Amino acid sequence: MRFALDDQPVDYLDGDSIAVAVVRAGQHPQHGGALCLAGDCGNCSADVAGVPFTRTCLTPARPGLRVRRHPAVGGPPLRLDPPKNPVASPAQTSVQVHRRHVDIAVIGAGRSGTAAAASARAAGHDVMVLDSESGFEVVGVYPGPIVVVRTPEHMLHVHAHEVVIATGAADVHPVCEGNMLRGIVTWGAADILRERSVDLGRTVTVDLTELARFDGIDGQVTAVVFTDGRSTPCDTAIVTSATRAPRDLLARMVSDPGVSVVGPAAERYDLPPCPTDGIVCPCSKVTVGDLQMVWDKGFTHLELVKRAALCGTGTCQGGVCMPHLRAFVTEKSGAPAAPFTGRPASRQLTIAEAAADVFLDPFRRTALHDEHLKLGAQMDRFGGWWRPWNYGDFMREYWAVREGVSLGDVSTLGKMIVSGPDVVEALERLYPTTIADIRPGRSRYVLLLNERGHLIDDGMVCRESDDRFVLTFTSGGASFAEAWVRDWIETWGLNVRIMDRTISLGAINVTGPLAGELLRRVGVPESPKFLQHRHADVAGVACHIMRLSFTGEASFELHHPVAHSAELWQTLMLAGRDLNITPHGLQALFALRLEKGHVIVGMDTELDTTPRRINMDWAVKMDKPDFIGRTALARTADLPDHRRLFGLTMDGPAPTEGAPIYVGDRIVGHVASAFMSPTVGKAIMLGWQKHSPWVDTVTVDGRTAHVTDTPFYDPQGARARI
Amino acid sequence: MIRRVPVRASERLYGLRVVATPEALDHARFAGSAGSAGSAGSAGEVTVLRIASDEVLALGAVDADVADPHAIVELETGFVGWHLTAAEFVSNVERHIEWLLPTHRPALAQGLIAGLPLKLWFDDDHDHDHDHDHDHDYVLVIASSGLAHEVVERLGVPA
Amino acid sequence: MNEFVETLLELTWHEPKSSYDVVIVGGGGHGLATAYYLATRHGITNVAVVEADYIGSGNSGRNTTIIRANYGIPESIRFYRHSQKLYSDLEQETGCWVMHATKGLIWLAHTETAMRAERARVLLNTACDAQTVLITPTEVKQLCPQIDLSGGGRYPVLGASHHLPASTARHDRVVWAYAQGAMQRGVHVLQNTQVTGLLRDGDRVVGVRTSNGDIAAGTVMSAVGGDVSQLAAHAGLRLPVRTHPLQAFVTNGYGQGFGPIISDTELLCYISQTARGQMLIGHEYDRESSFSLQSSFQFLQANAAKMSYLLPFVRDLKILRQWTGRCDVSADFSPIMGFTGVDGFVISTGWGTWGFKAIPAGGEQMAELIATGTTPELIQPFALSRFAADHAMADQGSTGTR
Ligand SMILES: Cc1cc2nc3c(=O)[nH]c(=O)nc-3n(C[C@H](O)[C@H](O)[C@H](O)COP(=O)(O)OP(=O)(O)OC[C@H]3O[C@@H](n4cnc5c(N)ncnc54)[C@H](O)[C@@H]3O)c2cc1C
Ligand code: FES
Repeated sequence: MRFALDDQPVDYLDGDSIAVAVVRAGQHPQHGGALCLAGDCGNCSADVAGVPFTRTCLTPARPGLRVRRHPAVGGPPLRLDPPKNPVASPAQTSVQVHRRHVDIAVIGAGRSGTAAAASARAAGHDVMVLDSESGFEVVGVYPGPIVVVRTPEHMLHVHAHEVVIATGAADVHPVCEGNMLRGIVTWGAADILRERSVDLGRTVTVDLTELARFDGIDGQVTAVVFTDGRSTPCDTAIVTSATRAPRDLLARMVSDPGVSVVGPAAERYDLPPCPTDGIVCPCSKVTVGDLQMVWDKGFTHLELVKRAALCGTGTCQGGVCMPHLRAFVTEKSGAPAAPFTGRPASRQLTIAEAAADVFLDPFRRTALHDEHLKLGAQMDRFGGWWRPWNYGDFMREYWAVREGVSLGDVSTLGKMIVSGPDVVEALERLYPTTIADIRPGRSRYVLLLNERGHLIDDGMVCRESDDRFVLTFTSGGASFAEAWVRDWIETWGLNVRIMDRTISLGAINVTGPLAGELLRRVGVPESPKFLQHRHADVAGVACHIMRLSFTGEASFELHHPVAHSAELWQTLMLAGRDLNITPHGLQALFALRLEKGHVIVGMDTELDTTPRRINMDWAVKMDKPDFIGRTALARTADLPDHRRLFGLTMDGPAPTEGAPIYVGDRIVGHVASAFMSPTVGKAIMLGWQKHSPWVDTVTVDGRTAHVTDTPFYDPQGARARI
Repeated sequence: MIRRVPVRASERLYGLRVVATPEALDHARFAGSAGSAGSAGSAGEVTVLRIASDEVLALGAVDADVADPHAIVELETGFVGWHLTAAEFVSNVERHIEWLLPTHRPALAQGLIAGLPLKLWFDDDHDHDHDHDHDHDYVLVIASSGLAHEVVERLGVPA
Repeated sequence: MNEFVETLLELTWHEPKSSYDVVIVGGGGHGLATAYYLATRHGITNVAVVEADYIGSGNSGRNTTIIRANYGIPESIRFYRHSQKLYSDLEQETGCWVMHATKGLIWLAHTETAMRAERARVLLNTACDAQTVLITPTEVKQLCPQIDLSGGGRYPVLGASHHLPASTARHDRVVWAYAQGAMQRGVHVLQNTQVTGLLRDGDRVVGVRTSNGDIAAGTVMSAVGGDVSQLAAHAGLRLPVRTHPLQAFVTNGYGQGFGPIISDTELLCYISQTARGQMLIGHEYDRESSFSLQSSFQFLQANAAKMSYLLPFVRDLKILRQWTGRCDVSADFSPIMGFTGVDGFVISTGWGTWGFKAIPAGGEQMAELIATGTTPELIQPFALSRFAADHAMADQGSTGTR
């Protein structure tokens, strides 16, 4: 059976790892360096089947496998012609995640692990033992604790109450002149090779403390030179050591009360002799001379040596070099040097393995999604939802609202029912507006402020009865607002029931001068008056009709059980066909509301927008005893203020939203929203001036713009009331 | 109303959503469309899911008797469900769950699965006298209808 | 011998004294740069930088090194643009190779709203001398051939803004460059010395209490990164700052092949290739505030997934190392620099997840403030007093993308 190493066939025996087969073939998986064959060093890693940095000692040989050595200098190439992403989501890659819940996970099936597992089982615990020998390669231990494991078939996430790290200790590699030659193995590796009946030729065994250097020809070791000057020829040099290196990377990586370390992994071993020559960190190709040089330059702290020389920052995370680095620093500084922090991951995983079965934030669709697609809508994501941006021609949609009748899908609005004996008290505290005097059947526009008096959302409060209200919030702010309302009411200990209706109700905005006519046609002879609301059947669907106006025209929001959205929409579209009914998307809506000067929270407002900064002091009743933000507003009311949102108009096309606003050559603010309004005949804008004194004439886009009162369109609001 | 036959495709779930004091919900009674009344948890046609201490989703219910004058009782159509056999549940859903599932039946579990907020209803198998050819457990996977397409994509269940 | 080692300059350590004109708490980039500019620009060298651990052990040695100026408000753009320019000259000025490399930064947009924000950014950046242009998906592909413009079918690229002067530098080397420059001129850097309290004379701060004894100071400056709340509390200050963990990870080193810095305004993650060939991936800070330095698996999972959507080639790369820093995030996501209202105590904080790029300008301006006793114009907008005045320097659009 054969696989390919750098396109040359390599024979292997059943049960060989790639590394073993390569050594059997008289070669080296890299260009040299001592091998441990235990997964502790980076000296055997290679590109296996297109994945560089695969540890060949842990990868079984398979027929036809393509193995490539990394280049001697520089890293393996980044593939510039990546495979086309064959899947729609990383979750559907071949890597799957399996999960297990256990009482105790023991990492390592050596003597200490086996003992720990046995005693835990005896105590009646559900125990899982994880060892790479049996195909469970532990990649990391994270707070939880959660143990991330790679198996030949999939990734395994083990959720354990306790984790016992029993990973044992590793052979210490030789650091001396010639240590990057081929033919050098650790004691443990020699054992494995012999067991696999690999012919090692002439061998010499040398203890670390007696090793002076390796001699070699053409990159292959030919002799071991001892500290006493002896030189013994060999084909394979076997390095032994009384001291070992605890495999404690997993333990240094996490601190969690549920994680403990036992056995040799927890032991303190003597450090090897301070290295004097050779490559100390094969992963990062750092020599002992490098360590000496940075030390001499004043980098006299283990971390500084590590960072300056890059020693220990390679693929084995110090597996080879840590004991030698510590020995070096200890000798130079005269004080024992503690190991550096371990950082995940311990056995490297690919990004695909980390991404396995991971799903990002979902995108929500309204119940009208398919209707929009049928109508040719260009959809866009806004506030976590898919929404129609336009249906091909947003100006046509704009005119339908201004002159005829149009539908808008506002199902994404936050909606909430609150009821209870303390409900008025709760709302009085939540909102800066007076709530108590809203009569049943009436509604009021409200701002939502935080403790700093800054605007976080807006919406409507509709009173249904003495002790029951329906609240709405913006689409983007809905989930935050729900948590906000619940948290505050709970904090105050008020007796209020709260039911979020955002996902339960669809909502269609019927808007335009002919909106009332359309409603008559679908069974609502008497539509509610401006800022009134009521429950009624519309085309057989139970609706809560709220009359308000964001577009500037008569507008009726039909809130209804979401299961009936599509049928209601279709009925309305059909009933309005001869009225040239045209649905509108967000693009038209943004233009329509801008003509009315209505702000969109988050788009026109900023982190520190107080009501007065957007000229909405009228929505704040400072004479109320308390509401969220009142203290802050009372404090800041008398401070000098430099920030104000103004209506602006100018000739010519609308500037790009975000354009800077100048006074002379000084930037004083920016255009928050802009639209070339056909009804006004000018470019209209909402724009910030953030430096007082505010002025009436500014420059935008190289043109002169004038501060103008808002609304730009129908200032008396007559059209919303017809 | 809950279908007892495992169906592969999703269906919209109809019922009542009720918010009331926990004590009132403990003793609430729900009536299904057929008019058969039952108490919480064991109603004939009504499946009562206690989704919070102060909130119930009563699938199949058309009427509720709740001793709280301020209770909010609303028609709920915002959820869709998939009835999965135990085997389908294991192959499509369970793998994605990071938390421990309840072992008793019936049981409601709620949480993120494959990044989606889902509810799972594990029915008990003892009162399936009207079932035809099987008596194994089924699991009702519930999602808000706005996320149904994501459930289909992520869990590989039919639309 | 490797070039990384050969090119290092020398650090000259001094025996500590009991009194200095200026004591700077925190041997991160900001503390050391302030000392450097005090020495080089103002001739003030009777200065100690007191560091609890080793220099650069905080965020300055843990960050993803993005140096950009494409912010969302003029005050920020001007400040960071100035810093960017100081960075360009840093190697020449200090003689230290900090591996400064100009790469350009591409901010991807996937929605109309995101495009709107990028259009606005381009206009404002251009107006403030920070070169940024709007580019089409085709241009994105030209600059970054590895990108999947369909975003794995989920995050299609509608366009991007391209901030041309964006660069990176080796974080440790920036720290050392400033340390060396300062130490050579006589500034004392005291490692393994934790400040445990402030010495007061009435309302005035007159020194620091440390794990190695008291040190008197004419002025004490706090530059302690994520630990700022504790230190400021000793001066009786409650700052509008919260500490949040910020995580990042790198892959192994591969051959060079990825030119720009790619950042995603929706997924709030970014990627670049380091001088050692590693792919370096970062993200917005953890939502929950905490002082923990533990890395989470959820972070690795989410970002591995995000990158797989945008750059499918990363899927076969091996993850080398994941780590966490503690970030001082202010209430308006902008830094807080200058006087505190407490005599003898000045502060440089709120560097959050974006303060590496600010090290030169932050240090230079704070040095001027300390030396002259007045706040330089460039940093006046970032005074602590802005919070009481309710004039936030809010630049929400720029968080999450370093
Ligand atoms: C993962 C990550 C990625 C980042 N990416 C970027 C990026 O791409 N671009 C960018 O511009 N910014 C980035 N940042 C932010 C940047 O790293 C920091 O804002 C910047 O390094 C702050 O420097 P500093 O000197 O203020 O703080 P630090 O470097 O944290 O230094 C503070 C020092 O104070 C010491 N200290 C603390 N308490 C005491 C005490 N009581 N006594 C004595 N010493 C004390 C600490 O040990 C520490 O060394 C990132 C941060 C992180 C964590
Ligand atoms: S030898 Fe692998 S990191 Fe040093």
